[in-house]
Amino acid sequence: MKFQIEDVTVYFPYDNIYPEQYAYMVELKRALDAKGHCLLEMPTGTGKTIALLSLITSYALSKPSNPIKFIYCTRTVHEMEKTLSELKLLHNYQLQHLGPAAKILALGLSSRKNLCINPTVVSAENRDSVDAACRKLTASWVRELAAENPRIPTCSFFENYEKSASEAILPPGVYTLQDLRAYGKLKGWCPYFLARHMVQLANVVVYSYQYLLDPKVAGIISKEMQRESVVVFDEAHNIDNVCIEALSVSVRMQTLEGATRNINRMSQEIDRFKATDAGRLRAEYNRLVEGLALRGDLPASDAWLANPALPNDILKEAVPGNIRRAEHFLSVLRRLVQYIRGRLQTENVEKEGPVAFVASVNTQAGIDQKMLRFCYDRLHSLMLTLEISDTDEFLHIQTICDFATLVGTYTRGFSIIIEPFDERMPHIPDPVLQLCCHDASLAIKPVFERFQSVVITSGTLSPIDLYPRLLNFNPVVSRSFTMSLTRDCICPMVLTRGSDQLPVSTKYDLRSDPGVEKNYGKLLLEMVSVVPDGIVCFFVSYSYMDGIVNSWHETGLLKEIMQHKLVFIETQDVVETTLALDNYRKACDCGRGAVFFSVARGKVAEGIDFDRHYGRLVIMFGVPFQYTLSRILLARLEYLRDTFQIKEGDFLTFDALRQAAQCVGRVIRSKADYGMMIFADKRYSRHDKRSKLPGWILSHLRDAHLNLSTDMAAHIAREGIKEEGSQMIIKVAVLDLSIACDST
Amino acid sequence: MADKQQQVVVKRARHKSSVKDPGTPGVLKLTKDRFTFMPNDPSSPVKHNVEFRTIKGHKFTKDGTKQALLNLTQDQGGNYIFEFENFPDRNVCKDFVASAIALSGEAGRTVPEKSAVPIQDEQLSAAEMERRIKLLQEDSDLQKLHKQFVIGGILSEAEFWATRKKLLEQNYSRRPKQRVALKNDMWSTKPLADGQSNRVTFNLTPEIILQIFAEKPAVRQAYLNFVPNKMTEKEFWTKYSRAEYLHSTKNVIAAAAEAAEDEELAVFLKQDDMLVNEARKKIRQVDPTLDMEADEGDDYMHLPDHGLPRNDNKDVLDSQYEPYRRSFSQHLNQHAAVVLQGRVIDVELGDTRSVAEALARTKHAELAKDASDVYLDKERLERISRMTEIEDLQAPRDPAVAPLSIKDPRDYFDSQQANAFSTLGDTVSGAKQLKCSVSTREAYCSLKECISEIKFQGLTEPTINSEVAFKVLNGLAQNISSNKYHLGRNPNESVLDSLPKITREELLLHWSSIQELLKHFWSSYPITTKYLLTKATKLKDAMSQIYPKLQEIKESVQSDLRHQVSLLVQPMLQALDAAFAHYDADVQNRSARSGERPNGF
Repeated sequence: MKFQIEDVTVYFPYDNIYPEQYAYMVELKRALDAKGHCLLEMPTGTGKTIALLSLITSYALSKPSNPIKFIYCTRTVHEMEKTLSELKLLHNYQLQHLGPAAKILALGLSSRKNLCINPTVVSAENRDSVDAACRKLTASWVRELAAENPRIPTCSFFENYEKSASEAILPPGVYTLQDLRAYGKLKGWCPYFLARHMVQLANVVVYSYQYLLDPKVAGIISKEMQRESVVVFDEAHNIDNVCIEALSVSVRMQTLEGATRNINRMSQEIDRFKATDAGRLRAEYNRLVEGLALRGDLPASDAWLANPALPNDILKEAVPGNIRRAEHFLSVLRRLVQYIRGRLQTENVEKEGPVAFVASVNTQAGIDQKMLRFCYDRLHSLMLTLEISDTDEFLHIQTICDFATLVGTYTRGFSIIIEPFDERMPHIPDPVLQLCCHDASLAIKPVFERFQSVVITSGTLSPIDLYPRLLNFNPVVSRSFTMSLTRDCICPMVLTRGSDQLPVSTKYDLRSDPGVEKNYGKLLLEMVSVVPDGIVCFFVSYSYMDGIVNSWHETGLLKEIMQHKLVFIETQDVVETTLALDNYRKACDCGRGAVFFSVARGKVAEGIDFDRHYGRLVIMFGVPFQYTLSRILLARLEYLRDTFQIKEGDFLTFDALRQAAQCVGRVIRSKADYGMMIFADKRYSRHDKRSKLPGWILSHLRDAHLNLSTDMAAHIAREGIKEEGSQMIIKVAVLDLSIACDST
Repeated sequence: MADKQQQVVVKRARHKSSVKDPGTPGVLKLTKDRFTFMPNDPSSPVKHNVEFRTIKGHKFTKDGTKQALLNLTQDQGGNYIFEFENFPDRNVCKDFVASAIALSGEAGRTVPEKSAVPIQDEQLSAAEMERRIKLLQEDSDLQKLHKQFVIGGILSEAEFWATRKKLLEQNYSRRPKQRVALKNDMWSTKPLADGQSNRVTFNLTPEIILQIFAEKPAVRQAYLNFVPNKMTEKEFWTKYSRAEYLHSTKNVIAAAAEAAEDEELAVFLKQDDMLVNEARKKIRQVDPTLDMEADEGDDYMHLPDHGLPRNDNKDVLDSQYEPYRRSFSQHLNQHAAVVLQGRVIDVELGDTRSVAEALARTKHAELAKDASDVYLDKERLERISRMTEIEDLQAPRDPAVAPLSIKDPRDYFDSQQANAFSTLGDTVSGAKQLKCSVSTREAYCSLKECISEIKFQGLTEPTINSEVAFKVLNGLAQNISSNKYHLGRNPNESVLDSLPKITREELLLHWSSIQELLKHFWSSYPITTKYLLTKATKLKDAMSQIYPKLQEIKESVQSDLRHQVSLLVQPMLQALDAAFAHYDADVQNRSARSGERPNGF
């Protein structure tokens, strides 16, 4: 359908539209008009993504003289694929109605691992080895050598791409990662470099959060994006965590050992170059004297991860004299590693601010703040000079330099925590030094400054006034939408007691109580026998899930559950989890029915939809609080209290409940869908906890469903499923009639 | 598991002279051509040694009844009753006896009139027998018919089943898909320790072995490599059990130590490399909207040591022990995947080696196929684009209808009767069955036609009073749903169910027996042999016995129901009349012709 919002004609690829989608578009348009940032909460299952895409592309089409670029950030690659396929749908519709004028270029961007089509490279095991394998074939020095010596292997796709030079462009259209690979294969061009090049020219770019938020990646990918862009962070309820993680580093013993190996290797290389090609080292020295940390025009294939500090904070001055010479720099690194090693020997937990740490480095290792700040750039330059292409081997020293640069750059919003062992396993020494960032606003600040509109949106942004404080920005529009419903398509309930009427909870004192474990198991057993198709269970942590599943196995409960449905489980191994998910879907598709065990805050909870028959019921076992004894969390809470006056308890509850809401929200994707949600913990019945749930869940939570026991919940589930089934009957009856007509 | 090679069956049983008799405990031994019974008490006079040649038939009690009985009837009229301790024992013997009788029956019969009895006593394999018994057990109506006609002597066993070949086959061919999926039951590695000694026992059945092979390709591969060249089968499983035991103790370090000493044991203890490789291949096939592995590629925060360490993965172990760690979750996923895939091979379970080989083959073929499947890719893309659409904002495109398949004949009968009432037609139900599996497209087309017709007519018609329209719609909706209700299994409101229970049962019984008899009756025409002639006569007699019973029913019911009942009975009577008419005509024809040709045919 096609309609006007003020001066913009919106092309919407469906025949109908939900009222809240329309309202959402109106608010979004206001924000775009005002060239300001906005914060929008809209329940899952109301077609948020298509509303966003449809409005922003239509907005861009209506202003051809001053085209805006649209940068859409997703948390995961599979969400990227989903978004792109929705965009494809929309684009086809716009082409139909507007003709060639609607042509846009939209593409997804990911790492080499997901885009490379060179079979020898892509077969490498992980991202870093793929990157390194690519670099071994495409680095400028390798190609120079290959030009003289044809026996040195290069990548034909990259060579072809380079040869075509300015002709290598993507025709307009919408390209998913798979489409990019297919196009690359067709043309013989490297899809990765092609995509990276086209990102600058595209109308719509879809990529991961980190490509904007993590300065290491943003520095090489996103630094040339125009100001007239609309940046959207979808599913942004966790954005503060992404921001703080982007600026955090941790160092372990293994890191130090690896770094020492790296330093030794570099010093060998330096010796070798001194013997064979001393001019190269001298050239680097001269360049550094002139004040250039890096050669300005690096070929794309040489680019490594950029400086971990934010672009505004990077010093634009010459590298200090005492680390200009390669061997001097290496000895500084050696001293730094030695110093950190010494700090890790501690027997007690230590916590200090960056300033104190830098001062102590200065006195004990003789490395001043400025040298620390330049560590990363100096390392990068040295690696280029030494022509090191197996970068995956050098991650350890890179970590050390990241740490040094960050600690040398920032004086507030960070702390350094050294723990000699894990709190939960005091007998195993596992010293770790963590530089943790507490201030989410740091990483996102450049984004707010650089782009004219930033849209932060998700299904769960409650309480909505907290986000502007956490991220420190002023939205021009900040609204929360409710869902308009013709029928109850979600049915949340709070289960407080098990079948034996004893309370259930994952609270610390009840957590390992066998009675609670049994009650939880019984609950699931009841549900698998009542609910058809898929059921998803979320647990509070991996260790809790492992424990409880094992105990269900030992007591035979698991066996009983398996008599009704197949059981799949999320593990820490993504490959395995992905395959398990795939099988889970197959089991739901074929009618066998299955249960998926997953973890709140885990990868599955973050990005996988369990809509329609893939999830008729979701059970949240417990309240997913963070591990409250974690020093990092405590430090962050302290920081939040001191700077934003946010109470510890409030923040913890807010954080736990947004995770819970996020988990249960996975079951519904459209209003034709139906899903039940069980919050299985007595603490959910308390008002202070419950009220933190988003409005669209609360509005469906009836008073009668606030304090249920297992048998009552099973009854409600049974009735709910039945009612839902009866709604389908009319459709079936009509079909029956037609068959009858046909046969008589 | 009745094995064909199984030559001797020995079971504990009691011999009874009659059903009430407490019986003499002893041992029943069955061989190919005879059975012997030795009482536990050697002084007891009850000893038997009987050849199967003399045994005419066998009867048995149903599973789950009070006693597990097997009754062998002898030619001369005597019989032997055995009571078993449990039903499985009995069933083993029963199957064995069935095949033995069939075997000896054929061998024993010297030269029977073969032409006259074309399919008298086919030799039945145990499997065939089992299948028939299972069918009878599952379907009580069939069982009733079987009892009435086969045991009543109107039809022979073979004749009865001959018309149901399809049922048998269908049942058989569907087997690998639906009937016996793998048990969704993890072979719990919990060993049976007897508490006193240090011995631990594991139980392995062929079913479990199949499961192990399917879930753990490395064990399968090891089996193929090691047995029988390097070790015997027994040694192999002992070693495997030892490995499982080590895992169950969760002592990773002990496992690693043992593995270091014994390289064969290490195969079981290490992580399954084949699984890992398989996973890597499979991951390329996965729906990209699920592919979490791809995320790792974009995740620059969780570079080793970047970002905040996740709170959970704190299971620190030396890297040398890493390969020996195995998680329960992994096992769980693998198990579910295998169960979901179902039984992929069709091999007798007893032979471990062939099972292993067959599994290896299918796996290989599967992986080879995966590599180059463009079609799959396309299908996946289509699926994604379908999934991305928001269904309720979109006008519906393809209707999601599945072809009807009616399983329970009673349901079918109910619905047919209801139809008969509504249309007042006298369709004999058989013809309709074919129409029930209308393809999706056909159904859709017809629906569309109806709608367009309505649209068209609605346009030509002057405007309808909205109240009337509402009434009609309401009525329609109610009618549809109530009709649906009738067709369902609501016990109180179906047409048939309004009848008294006895009448209903009787009617149903007669209906099914008439169906059965008519089927056989018509299938014996044209009559070409004497055998068929006698069969037809027998069938006609049986039918003429039912005829008056139907009349009786019609008259016995209360007057208000009589109309309905007569409507029900009418088609049956008509069918019977037609059969009788045909029979009479044929007899006349025959006698007229027999004058011309005195020697019969």
